[in-house]
Amino acid sequence: MSDKLMAKLAVLSDAAKYDASCASGTAGKRQAKKGGKGIGSLTGGTGICHSFTPDGRCISLLKILMTNYCIYDCHYCINRVSSDVKRARFSVQEVVDLTLNFYKRNYIEGLFLSSGIIQSPDYTMESMMRIAKTLRVEHGFRGYIHLKTIPNAAVELQNEAGLYADRLSINVELPTQAGLTQYAPEKDLRVIDDAMASMKEKIDEHKNSVTHTGKRLPRFSPGGQSTQMIIGADGSNDKTILTSSVNLYDRHKLRRVYYSAFSPIEHASQLLPLKPAPLIREHRLYQADWLLRFYDFKLDEILQGTQNDMLDMQHDPKLAWALRNRHVFPVDLNRADKYLLLRVPGLGARTAQKILAVRRRGQLRWADLAKLRLPLQKIKPFVSVADYRPSSKLLEADQLGARMAQPNQLELFGGVV
Amino acid sequence: MKTITITSVPGFNEWRAAARVALADNLHPSQLLWRTPGCPQSDLFTGGAEQPIVQSPADSANRFQIKVPPRFISLCEVVLCHSERGRFELCYRLLWRLLHENRDLLGHKTDSDVLKATAMAKAVRRDAYKMSAFLRFRKTEHQEQEYFVAWYEPEHYSLELKLDFFKTRFKNMRWSILTPYRAAHWNTKTLRLEDNPVPLIYPQQDEVEDYWLSYYQNTFNPARLKVKAMQSQMPKKYWHNLPEAELIEGLIRDAEPRARAMLNKTDGGD
Repeated sequence: MSDKLMAKLAVLSDAAKYDASCASGTAGKRQAKKGGKGIGSLTGGTGICHSFTPDGRCISLLKILMTNYCIYDCHYCINRVSSDVKRARFSVQEVVDLTLNFYKRNYIEGLFLSSGIIQSPDYTMESMMRIAKTLRVEHGFRGYIHLKTIPNAAVELQNEAGLYADRLSINVELPTQAGLTQYAPEKDLRVIDDAMASMKEKIDEHKNSVTHTGKRLPRFSPGGQSTQMIIGADGSNDKTILTSSVNLYDRHKLRRVYYSAFSPIEHASQLLPLKPAPLIREHRLYQADWLLRFYDFKLDEILQGTQNDMLDMQHDPKLAWALRNRHVFPVDLNRADKYLLLRVPGLGARTAQKILAVRRRGQLRWADLAKLRLPLQKIKPFVSVADYRPSSKLLEADQLGARMAQPNQLELFGGVV
Repeated sequence: MKTITITSVPGFNEWRAAARVALADNLHPSQLLWRTPGCPQSDLFTGGAEQPIVQSPADSANRFQIKVPPRFISLCEVVLCHSERGRFELCYRLLWRLLHENRDLLGHKTDSDVLKATAMAKAVRRDAYKMSAFLRFRKTEHQEQEYFVAWYEPEHYSLELKLDFFKTRFKNMRWSILTPYRAAHWNTKTLRLEDNPVPLIYPQQDEVEDYWLSYYQNTFNPARLKVKAMQSQMPKKYWHNLPEAELIEGLIRDAEPRARAMLNKTDGGD
């Protein structure tokens, strides 16, 4: 390894850090063959977080760009052609070596590779595909590979990439065509949508079909596909963003939509807002996204009563819903079904499960809630048990919302419960 | 009062054998004193020397058939990796209550023994997970072949829980993992364990580590500083295992001025 490579790594990891998705998803179990040269495994669950940086994000994958040279001019992107940022480009072999060297030292679960567009979308996609192929075929690499595919590249290249990658993704970047036209003139929402549709078709085909001899088809992007939207660069409100997410989850069966608060970038375009989007907005969108996917919330329940179609920044969306629907509460923890338990601010999927298990053996009392380590202050106005019922004053109080508000500047992490 | 000394770590097999014998003798948990070597406490009420139970597991199994739910055994396997001294006593008490009080004891999520065991198991699993995450190999050479060595200090006896993980993931690599209480050596075919290893073979440096440090610094976004979020996932107690941890302080210190500088450049300068 050399100083030159070190300099490239600095440039191309710095350039990739704006991408929000860091995790390696679930893509089944897998391991190297014995007695060969192969290396790596997938444990079956989500990938291991090997480190955390002071921005609170996990390092699971070597997240780099193949190159930050780019012929496109997307205004929100630090690597757009008109930016005067320092440029670099990895060779196929350099990325392969870095990935293997990091993996062998247990720094990472695998590789997350995206790239600026050089020469042409096809040329770029082909080089990225070759990196994945070399790792898999020549080195027997069984770790995780996530490729950010190039929407305008030939579908054959995407189809080959899916044979080597665990996950493919295409960034939609902005939820509306108007936003894209203004900020990413070379990008077309329809092209992106078509690419996602064809990817979904391919993933389904490989998962469900067999060849005429009855053999299963090879794995194709077994971790599915994901995408990312930039929040706060254009004027889209939360309703537009979440509507777009629901649409993407429904139609293309995406595993994840990542939200990335627009972050100030050096050498930024004059077209962009001068201020970063508040991280709390990104956080609220993730919470809403979670409620939609795992808690049986409907989009209009989440948006009900919001101002200007923007989520409440002071309360998480579940608490905000509860404050607007106080007639549902208090929920009797000894009787409520799981659906209703999951509506209680402070109760998550795991705690709901515990409550169901405990009450099979007898009445839940307030002391039991403490033993189960439930967040008592948060649930207090919303639940009743054998020996406790909140006073109607507590639940109906006008100040309840203010009392439960989270300060905007609070450092936030973790999901909604 | 009988005293049982468990000499091995984590000690599951020894505990199981001793527990079988004690159950066969119908000994109530309060009649047993569980000890580990180097544990100086003596029980005031024994009034005499220890009475070690010398019986092989096979003998006791013949005398007394004990049936417990499989999930109790898997819980004990994890709980007994905990470093807390009371772990043997707790597991025996659970076993006793399971047989004499309630077959479905583990289903009682609010029972204090069950809560305690579950909490201990959770701590061990987390510690083991963190070991698979935060352990770092350094490369050296041994008999003209690549050889990887890691030194890691888990909080509990977590090495045994992760041996399969490391064997699977780094199957075709030669490696040694050293912990203060035990080392595991893998030569691509067989695993050898060694107690109380001397960390002499741990390399002082690694040619790739600087690249990793550079990556760590550059993948960090100073405009999104969230120190608490980092520390909830990577508390300071793990930092001594991590080469990148020495960068953290500086990154935090410089984050705000760096983020401000980025804003100013966006602004067209100040």
